[in-house]
Amino acid sequence: MKKFFSSKPFILTIGTLAIASLLPFGVSDYILGVLTTAFYFAVFSMSWDLLFGYAGEVNFGPTFLIGLGAYGAGMADSLLNLPVPVCILIGALAAVIGGVALAIPALRLTGPYLGLITLVAVLLLQQVIVIFAGVTGGEIGLSMPDVLSVNSAPNYEYALAFMTVSGAILFAISRSNFGLILQAAGQDPIAARALGFNITKHKIAAFAISALFSGLSGALLVFYLGTASVNAVVDIAIGVRVIIAAVLGGRRTIIGGAIGAIFLIVAGEILRPLGQLSTLVVAIMALIVIMVSPDGLLGMLRARRTT
Amino acid sequence: MNLKGFIAARSIRAGLLASAATMLVGFAGWAVSPAQAADPIKIGITTELATIPGKAIANGAELAADQINAAGGIDGRQIQLVIEDDHLSSTDAVSSFQRMVKEDHVVAVVGTFVSEVGLALEPWSARLHEPYLITGAAANQLSQFVHKDYARNKYIFHAYLPAAFLAQAVCDASHDILVNQFHMKTAVILSEDAAWTQPLDAGYQGCLPKAGLTVEKEIRFSPDTTDFTPIYQQLASLNPNVIIAGWAHVGVQPTVQWNTQHVPIALAGINAQAGSSQFWQATNGGTEGVITGNVAAPGVAITPKTLPFSDAYQKKFGYSPAYSAYTTYDAMYMLKDAIERAKSTNALPLVAALEKTDMVGTQGRLEFLGQSSQFTHALRYGPGYVTGVAIQWQSGQQKTIWPLNLANAKAEFPSFVKLPKMAAN
Amino acid sequence: MLVLQILIDGFAISTLYALGALGFTLIFGVSGVLNLAHGGLLVVSAMIAYYVGTRLGLGAYIGAGAGILAGIVTAMATYLLIVRPIQRSRVIPARERELFVLTGTLLWGVMLQEMLSYIFTDTPITVKPLLPGIVDFLGVTTPANEFITAAISWVVLGCLWLLVNRTKMGKQLLAASINPRGLTLLGFELSRIYLLVWIIYGVLAGIAGILLGSFLGTSSEFIPALTGSAFSIVVLGGLGSVSGTLFAAYVIGYIETLTAYLVSPSLRNVPALVLLILVLYIRPQGLLGRR
Repeated sequence: MKKFFSSKPFILTIGTLAIASLLPFGVSDYILGVLTTAFYFAVFSMSWDLLFGYAGEVNFGPTFLIGLGAYGAGMADSLLNLPVPVCILIGALAAVIGGVALAIPALRLTGPYLGLITLVAVLLLQQVIVIFAGVTGGEIGLSMPDVLSVNSAPNYEYALAFMTVSGAILFAISRSNFGLILQAAGQDPIAARALGFNITKHKIAAFAISALFSGLSGALLVFYLGTASVNAVVDIAIGVRVIIAAVLGGRRTIIGGAIGAIFLIVAGEILRPLGQLSTLVVAIMALIVIMVSPDGLLGMLRARRTT
Repeated sequence: MNLKGFIAARSIRAGLLASAATMLVGFAGWAVSPAQAADPIKIGITTELATIPGKAIANGAELAADQINAAGGIDGRQIQLVIEDDHLSSTDAVSSFQRMVKEDHVVAVVGTFVSEVGLALEPWSARLHEPYLITGAAANQLSQFVHKDYARNKYIFHAYLPAAFLAQAVCDASHDILVNQFHMKTAVILSEDAAWTQPLDAGYQGCLPKAGLTVEKEIRFSPDTTDFTPIYQQLASLNPNVIIAGWAHVGVQPTVQWNTQHVPIALAGINAQAGSSQFWQATNGGTEGVITGNVAAPGVAITPKTLPFSDAYQKKFGYSPAYSAYTTYDAMYMLKDAIERAKSTNALPLVAALEKTDMVGTQGRLEFLGQSSQFTHALRYGPGYVTGVAIQWQSGQQKTIWPLNLANAKAEFPSFVKLPKMAAN
Repeated sequence: MLVLQILIDGFAISTLYALGALGFTLIFGVSGVLNLAHGGLLVVSAMIAYYVGTRLGLGAYIGAGAGILAGIVTAMATYLLIVRPIQRSRVIPARERELFVLTGTLLWGVMLQEMLSYIFTDTPITVKPLLPGIVDFLGVTTPANEFITAAISWVVLGCLWLLVNRTKMGKQLLAASINPRGLTLLGFELSRIYLLVWIIYGVLAGIAGILLGSFLGTSSEFIPALTGSAFSIVVLGGLGSVSGTLFAAYVIGYIETLTAYLVSPSLRNVPALVLLILVLYIRPQGLLGRR
């Protein structure tokens, strides 16, 4: 453990985060705004990586969990007028319940079958939001009376702190015995069971943890945006972005999810002058990266260091 | 390599480096230039470029900016547009709105035809004290939001008609055409399930009976519906004279299926996509006989400004303007007018000047409703102000059939539509 | 009357669903690829058919021909640019190729959508129907195009059946799906078989896309939804099972039609989604799938 804290990657990460925390003193509000969104997306991708990279669960519906967190928090705010922290906790709770509900089919299904179930969960959530438009805001989205802050700097620092803490916890989990058992269960469930591990308990816990961070991040994101809408937190396109970010950054690394998400969003901003074509160019870049380096951006960094 | 080649290669490399550095610096926002009196006035446009009405917003703004700049700008300052695509996403729209305000320091933001995007941007307009003119979305809530908390939300202007007024326009046109000319008596409301159609349907329910049409049923369907056969079969058994539509997200499919299935009921109301000149091809001519409300129509001089605008638009872009081009073009001129009267580009004086807007635009006389109206800061509707027009597709062309004093054609329906027996004939 | 109406309308929709999902299940059955850009193939074909048939004014039939050609080209591009490089990649571990094919085709679908939206905008269009006009069938007025659509779909399905079960080529395809290594040992070239099956896939997707586009309209925005519904039908029927796919298409088509007619058009999609979850939970291999 001691060795880990003095390792190069660790020092590099701490250094980057330290510089990142000082950014509000040097750069414009606009960059802070871009990075704020990117940091919340980073947590989405890291949570997804815990499920996929470690437990091997093909979750095509990260936005089911994100959406539950976002709408749970948003509706608590707009309908019940509860204080913001309470709303965020309600959102996180809703997401955890949703995560456990997803874990039940995951105990029986794998691969494309589970993928489809998670996809259908997103579609159903979307339908429910539209059908109960009276309380959810429907197609139009939910406008929320409260936001975290109007100013960019505090919003940025909240998001950075949240990403750092979440990333540290998820990373620690992935490197713990728990993470190793998950990985074993994902790769060879029969052997893992034969070794005496309770796979059921571990899988449910993995879904709950992933849901907790997805939900928290979704809740914080809507309190940053001041609005929750299907196309912002539930749409399948958002889920696709989360998955692509995790694979692009480097799966089974946790940190890779953050790198991928930040890369995708920052690249999208830099390519903004291309207008409509920016998404196309980002998709091409992502495809090239995963074809050339299956371990993603993090893999590329590592490869350069070893050669 | 000879010397010349070396220098060229070096300068190319230097150029690349320099441009990379500029990009970096630009991105980091360290380049600060001192404000000067002759600095351009920046106006932000947030829109959806991949859609017909969204593209029309950008086009309308561009045309207005070109014309204003050619005529000397606003008090000698040129307009510079910052056009950003929100890809129909409220998240993208919010971040782009913040970017335009904080990075580009735009004087005002104009745009969006999607109510949910507009509603997501409104709180940010209020929080950042940034004047925002919505030029294509129609939900009542957009201007009711201003009414609810005027002091906080006064920066928002709904430079288009709220759905309640659109419903009134449809009722007025239906009375003059369908009831008076064709003796129709019964109607069915058929709207997509979206925020803007809730007040629209409520409006229809209230004003259609007064216009002389009994509402037999109100049907709402999901905007992702693609097969309308069940709905049309159900309608055929009710046998009303006319379908009063509330469509914007959908358009092509229900129109085409109305035509291919020979639904024997006239189709009128608001079919927003049918307002675009590209709709004929998109529906393979299935739109023949369809009536829709629109803000203006080709070749119809609602005001002296209408035709010069649509001609210039046609010339610049090669196709005719969609409704949101008229509203955005007018909004740009309202901004110019307000900045000149306020002699300032600061938010509060600009808002005060916008509230006093009284000018003739392409759609009619433009005035914003006051604080006492539930639709605070929406355009005033009615004769003498903005009323819109009703157009009908006839042999591949959009003909104006209402208001009657502007009409250039009489309404007529495809042979498969069963019309009530005319007493006069 | 209503019963007949539901029967006819449900039949037309279900047949389209079947045709739309067929290529997806075929390509999975033979080469184990889940193509998440499937909807893109359908929409590209429909858009090209529209562009050639309506915009260029060359008529429905030339338009349809161009659309099918576009389907083949797009299918080949999917295979040669995305799928094959991933399958042959030396850097991607064999165990994870499936995930990379999923991610790669997902990205490819995004690219197709963005390109179409850039060229043709997002506004929905309809492909010119092959046969205009309406037919009065036992008192139910139905567009002639609906009958043509169903007829073409069944002819295509029949041809595919003959191809797989009655030709030498079909036997190779079957063998490739059951035991690819055995086939290689017998001296057949797998890569040629795969190429062939992607071409068949392109034709199927092209026809399905054009018929869908003339019946229900199309737009670049429909791509994810089309992929999703093909995926649902195929998994419901049992991955890789052609008869299962047909069966599932009719189950979903009729449930949707019944809901739309008898409950409410706006709830159309909900019962099918719930059924999908239930079936997957009780019978994960799908209705007609083998484990």
